[in-house]
Amino acid sequence: MFSSQSFKDGVKHAIGVPALGLGSSMFAFGAFLHSAGFDIFQSFLSTFFTFALPGQFVMAETILAGGTLLNIFLAVLLTNSRLYPMTVNITPLIRNSNIPKWKQYLGAHFIAVTSWFNFFSVQKNIKEDEKFNYFVGLGGFLWANSVFCTVAGYLFSNLVPHEILIALVFINPMYFLVMTVSNLEEKKIICSILVGATLSIFLNDVFPGWSVLIAGVLAGTLGFFIFRKENNE
Amino acid sequence: MSSQFIYLSILVASIGTYFCRAFGMFSAKNIKVDSPIFHWIRCVSMAVIAAVIARIVFFPVGILTESTMLVRIVCTLILLVVYFLFKKNVILAVSSSTICFVILNHVL
Repeated sequence: MFSSQSFKDGVKHAIGVPALGLGSSMFAFGAFLHSAGFDIFQSFLSTFFTFALPGQFVMAETILAGGTLLNIFLAVLLTNSRLYPMTVNITPLIRNSNIPKWKQYLGAHFIAVTSWFNFFSVQKNIKEDEKFNYFVGLGGFLWANSVFCTVAGYLFSNLVPHEILIALVFINPMYFLVMTVSNLEEKKIICSILVGATLSIFLNDVFPGWSVLIAGVLAGTLGFFIFRKENNE
Repeated sequence: MSSQFIYLSILVASIGTYFCRAFGMFSAKNIKVDSPIFHWIRCVSMAVIAAVIARIVFFPVGILTESTMLVRIVCTLILLVVYFLFKKNVILAVSSSTICFVILNHVL
C-alpha cells in the first residue's frame, strides 16, 4: 500500500495548504493543553487516537470544568457526530473489495473534515481501485502532521504570543469555511449549507449539545428534497 | 485532576470519536455511489459541517472564547470577500482573515 503511486499522490496532496491549515490549529491545541496542565505524552495521545479537533477541545474543556467520564464521552460523541454522515458518505467511494476489512476500518481513523473535503475535490480523477490508497496517503499524512504539530505546540508554546495562538485556532474553522464555500455549485448543497449554518445558531439556546446535529439533519434533508430533481439531471 | 483521569478521558474521547467513524463505515455497507441516499447523506454532511463552523464562530469553546463575537464575524466576512474577490485564492483568504483577527483582537 505504502509503495503505491496513489498513496504517494495522496501524501503529495496533503503537503501544503491542507497540512498547514490543520497543523496550525493543532499547534495551538498543543499549546492550550500545556497551559491546561496536561503532560506531553497526554497531548500526543489525544491527537494520535482522536484526530478531531473540536472534540479534542471539548474533551479538555470538560475535564477542566470538572466533568465526569460519562460527561466527557457524551460531549465528545455529540461534538464529533459530524464524522458519522461524513463517513457514510465517503465509504462507498473508498470501499475496495481487494483490501482487508480491518485495514479499511483502520483507514476510517483518517476521516476528518480536512481529509474529507480534499478527497472529494479530486476523487473523480482517481481510478476506482486506487481511491482507498489515495485517501490513506492524504488522511494519514494529515494525521501524522497533526500529531507532530500538537507536540510541537506543546513544546514551543512559550515562544508564541498568546494572541497568535488564539488566531491559529481560528484558522481551522476559516479553512473549513473556504472548503465549504468551494462546494457551492449544486443548489441542494447551497441550500443545505445556508440553512444548516443558520439553524445551528438559532437552535443553540434550545438544544445546546444537539444543535449541530439537529440543524445538519434538518437542513440536509430539506436541501435534498427541495432540489430532488437536481439529482436526476 | 489526576493524571490517571486524563488518560481515561483521552480513552473515552477516542472511543466516542472512533465509534462515529466505525459505525459510519458499517452503516454504509449497502450504500452505492450515486444512489439517492448517497446524495442525501452528502447534503447532511455539508449541512453539519456548516453548522459546526457557525457554532465555532458564534458560540466557541476553548481559547477562542478569548475573542469577541464581533471580531470573529468580521474576520469571517473578510475571508469570504477576499476568497471570492481574488479568484478563490485559499491561502490569501485564510491569511488575510487570520492577520485581521490578530489585529482586531488586539485592538478591540
